[in-house]
Amino acid sequence: MNTRAMSVPGPRNWTSMTPGRRPPSVSAVVRGTVLVTAALVMVAPIAWAVLSSMKSRNELAERTPSLLPDQLSLSNYTEALDRFDFVRYFTNSVIVTVAATVLTLTINSMAAFALAKYNFRGRNALFLLTLATIMIPLQVILLPVYRVVSDLGMTNSLLGLIIPPAATPTGVFLLRQYMLSLPDELLEAARIDGAGELRIFLRIVLPLCRPALAVVAIFSVIWRWNDFLWPRIVAQKESVHTLPVALARMNSELVVPFNLVLAMSVMSILPVIILFLLMQRQIISGIAQTGLK
Amino acid sequence: MVGRHRLRAAFAATATLTSVAALSQMSVAGATTEPPDAAAEDTAAASEAVDLSAFEGESLTYVYFTDGAPDEEATRAAIAAFEEASGATVELQIVPFADLETTLQAQLSGGDVPDVARVSNWRPFAGDVIDMNEMFGAAYSDQFLPGQVATALGDNGEFLAVPSDITMNGPFINVDAFNEAGVEIPTEWTWDDMIAAATEVQEANDMEFALAIDKSGHRVSTVLSQFGTTLLGPDGVTLDPAMAETAITTLTDLMAEDTMSADFWLESGSRYAGANEMFLAGAVPVYISGNWQVAQFAETAEFEWAAVPNPCAERCGGFPGGKYMVAFQGSDNPELAAAFVEFMNRTEIQQQLAEGASWLPTRNDLIESGITYPNRPDDMSVFLADIAATPEDTYLSLASPAFSAAATAVIEEIALVVAGEEDVPTAVENIIARSEQGLEDAA
Amino acid sequence: MTEAEGFGAEVGRLRRPTGVRPDRGFQRGEGFLPPFARKLTSRQFAPYLFLVPNMLVFGVFTIWPAINGFRISLYDSDNGRQFEYVGTENYRRILSDDRFTDVVRNTLIFVVLYVIIVTILSTILALMLDAQRRGSGALRAAFFLPVVISPVVVGVIWGWMFTRRTGIVNALLDDVGVGPQRWLLDKKLAMGVIIAAAIWTHVGFYAMILLAGLKSIPQHLYEAGRIDGAGTLQRIRLITLPLLRPTTMVVIVLSTIAGFQAFDYVYTLTGGGPVGGTTLIVQYIFERAFQSPIQYGLASAAGVLFFAVVFAATLLNYVLGRRKEAM
Repeated sequence: MNTRAMSVPGPRNWTSMTPGRRPPSVSAVVRGTVLVTAALVMVAPIAWAVLSSMKSRNELAERTPSLLPDQLSLSNYTEALDRFDFVRYFTNSVIVTVAATVLTLTINSMAAFALAKYNFRGRNALFLLTLATIMIPLQVILLPVYRVVSDLGMTNSLLGLIIPPAATPTGVFLLRQYMLSLPDELLEAARIDGAGELRIFLRIVLPLCRPALAVVAIFSVIWRWNDFLWPRIVAQKESVHTLPVALARMNSELVVPFNLVLAMSVMSILPVIILFLLMQRQIISGIAQTGLK
Repeated sequence: MVGRHRLRAAFAATATLTSVAALSQMSVAGATTEPPDAAAEDTAAASEAVDLSAFEGESLTYVYFTDGAPDEEATRAAIAAFEEASGATVELQIVPFADLETTLQAQLSGGDVPDVARVSNWRPFAGDVIDMNEMFGAAYSDQFLPGQVATALGDNGEFLAVPSDITMNGPFINVDAFNEAGVEIPTEWTWDDMIAAATEVQEANDMEFALAIDKSGHRVSTVLSQFGTTLLGPDGVTLDPAMAETAITTLTDLMAEDTMSADFWLESGSRYAGANEMFLAGAVPVYISGNWQVAQFAETAEFEWAAVPNPCAERCGGFPGGKYMVAFQGSDNPELAAAFVEFMNRTEIQQQLAEGASWLPTRNDLIESGITYPNRPDDMSVFLADIAATPEDTYLSLASPAFSAAATAVIEEIALVVAGEEDVPTAVENIIARSEQGLEDAA
Repeated sequence: MTEAEGFGAEVGRLRRPTGVRPDRGFQRGEGFLPPFARKLTSRQFAPYLFLVPNMLVFGVFTIWPAINGFRISLYDSDNGRQFEYVGTENYRRILSDDRFTDVVRNTLIFVVLYVIIVTILSTILALMLDAQRRGSGALRAAFFLPVVISPVVVGVIWGWMFTRRTGIVNALLDDVGVGPQRWLLDKKLAMGVIIAAAIWTHVGFYAMILLAGLKSIPQHLYEAGRIDGAGTLQRIRLITLPLLRPTTMVVIVLSTIAGFQAFDYVYTLTGGGPVGGTTLIVQYIFERAFQSPIQYGLASAAGVLFFAVVFAATLLNYVLGRRKEAM
């Protein structure tokens, strides 16, 4: 629903700073206020966590929590970094996330293309099967999956973290929905011109799917970066630990230093937040264009 | 979020220090902490017979969990000694305690069997571990505390897990706070004494609470024992309803009066919660936990603190716990695995480990000779003394296969009482019923 | 370059003469594959080839283990390696377990409330964001921020915020005179807290989806409505919402699935709530599978039941949505 009120230029005003604009209507002011307040509420817990991550252990346990830390010190961070081989975990997380995302985009888009633009027997059944698996919780299939991974010799390796989660059903779902909206005539025209299927896929379909690919990409990044349960079980060796695994380790030690837990939590969400802020335009417009209908 | 599909985060579960083992011959009769020296010498000679250099160039994996930094360091030093003596390499895989069982299950079922693991509950792996007595002679197990050994025996008396350290539950106090309040530091006290002293100190220091205990059936078993009863025994559920009611009512009354934190008990649902943060923050002067806190407290406490003897009610003493080292049959090199376990539990190594990690020893010779702890010797000796005072049946309770089920029941039923949904007699009934169900399930 | 232009350019490129006769079987076009391979990538085989990589990974790492999981549900196991056949015993035990009944009830309450509230809130949010010109980028970013955070961190932060004695929420309430609440100590309040956390985490995501749907509603319909004298609210009710229905259905389906699957942030937040008041079904499965006493068969059976319920709920949503459209 659009109102054009704000974009219609009004009479110039002796006092107005933005000449040519009509002052905002009451509804616009209300709406703006509500949105800003809600946005602040959205961001508040995160801001609170970041502020508190700079508090000392005792400050955190205080009866009445203070808004600001006594002193803006990064000692929790340095201590957490000291205790943990942060660089290695970070690198592992990055490698796994990037590789898994590339793999996911590749195989998901291919599968989505097949499910969207071809009419073959069993297409619907396959799609339904894909959808249905969104509902299977990992806890239930954890041991059988581990057995498979182990039989393939992928335990304790980054491969075991990259490959098994790559065939995301949600990714296939989103991409297929998007591809459904691409006009068939376009592909037909290309076929008439003699283009092979692979060429059509690579040269026509994929570039047009950029928004959807961006969406799946960012989701894949989020999921792989935050992946917890699976890496904990598969990646036993410290050398293949990822960041959330290290955080979980700290969290589940019998004696949990909460100040360090907070610092590590902030550190683990920071990269994704930064990535998100950098790419937010693409992401949000990408979601907007995925046109899930 | 639907986007998060099945591969998501799952958070840690309970961290009760329960060691569950089979019961067989209760030859513990009579032998609580008295070490049979002769046997120790024999088997010491036997273990030296293992030729470590035969393992030159081989490698093994040791799945390990840590209570905090000091024990990891001490373990690594011990490992280095092994590597030097044998020429083999050891890979230390540290996993969070809460994931330990899951990890091992996954590895075993995936055919990815580790060689050695440090566990607190070896029962799930009973069919997969090596009988150490078979490897090193029937007298091998005699080197260790009989009470602990009894908790590590298989159905046919196989010695399936080597007790590598014993833990003892007991209270810590905030010495600064006690001094501030002018309350004497106890050398022995009753529960009533403890509550009174704690309350006085709390009020004098304007602390939030007087008493804190970890939310764990294992810790509560300490209280149960002091009030005269234990959850389980070799013949089934041994909980005395009247004594259990007194014990539990003591705790729930304290929580109702806000002397103990009721919030603490309810707010974390079925996740394990330790009250150490509360203690370290100076919110409570008396904290019932166990000796594994010593190393951490030594590092991080910002006030004077001390371990004190367990309070007496009907009985005195604490409640034991312990860790074991197990060697897996399915490992690529079972002999090496067993040899490593044997090495790590030798006198000299155990002495180093105990000193470095502030662990209580399980070897009879070390218990007799004592350990000079470089760190907090006074506190460690308090725990050692409590081992002597701890009644026999606590070991038997711990050793029962249904102990963890019973411990969970204790926590949940107490929570129901604290939340006002149940009265104590019903809670005790339920605990007994659930413990019996646990025994059935485990059979 | 707009999308349309991109379309055109690509087609145009392909229409350029390639110097190869265009009317012979699989030797058409420039293609970068040798003849035999080109036959393989012909339209006949193409879909299967495209599908294979994804379905292979899928089959090996999801479907096969799921079938295994289903099989395990007919057995009893306490260590994942030794299995004892028990047939439908596990199912019988679960269905007669009081705890399970509570858990199902909790889950249904959670899902229903969560879905309803998050759909309404995200719709309102989308409507407002759509109308907002100023700063919409920053606003959208703010609302989307919780989506990227790990669920465990969400649970840690929220649980800590709502602790009665040391939580910031009660401290603030105290300051404004309302007084502290027993957030995580009261079953109903705790349920409210986890629903709020769930909404906080996801509302931005669903709002974005709805925004996309909003943008596809043709403007001229609003013009027509305005000409006919319809006020803003009426336009929303009579034009926007009905036309938004397909997208709203997507949000409802996605949020239903998400609601049923809620575990990590709930478990971290409340540990299953004061005396089991916020224990949801995935936690129930988790406890049977990973906490002593381990009962894998039971956990698998619960997983199968869970899957059946979610599948049914999703189908129900889908069918109801379809029917309404037809009307």
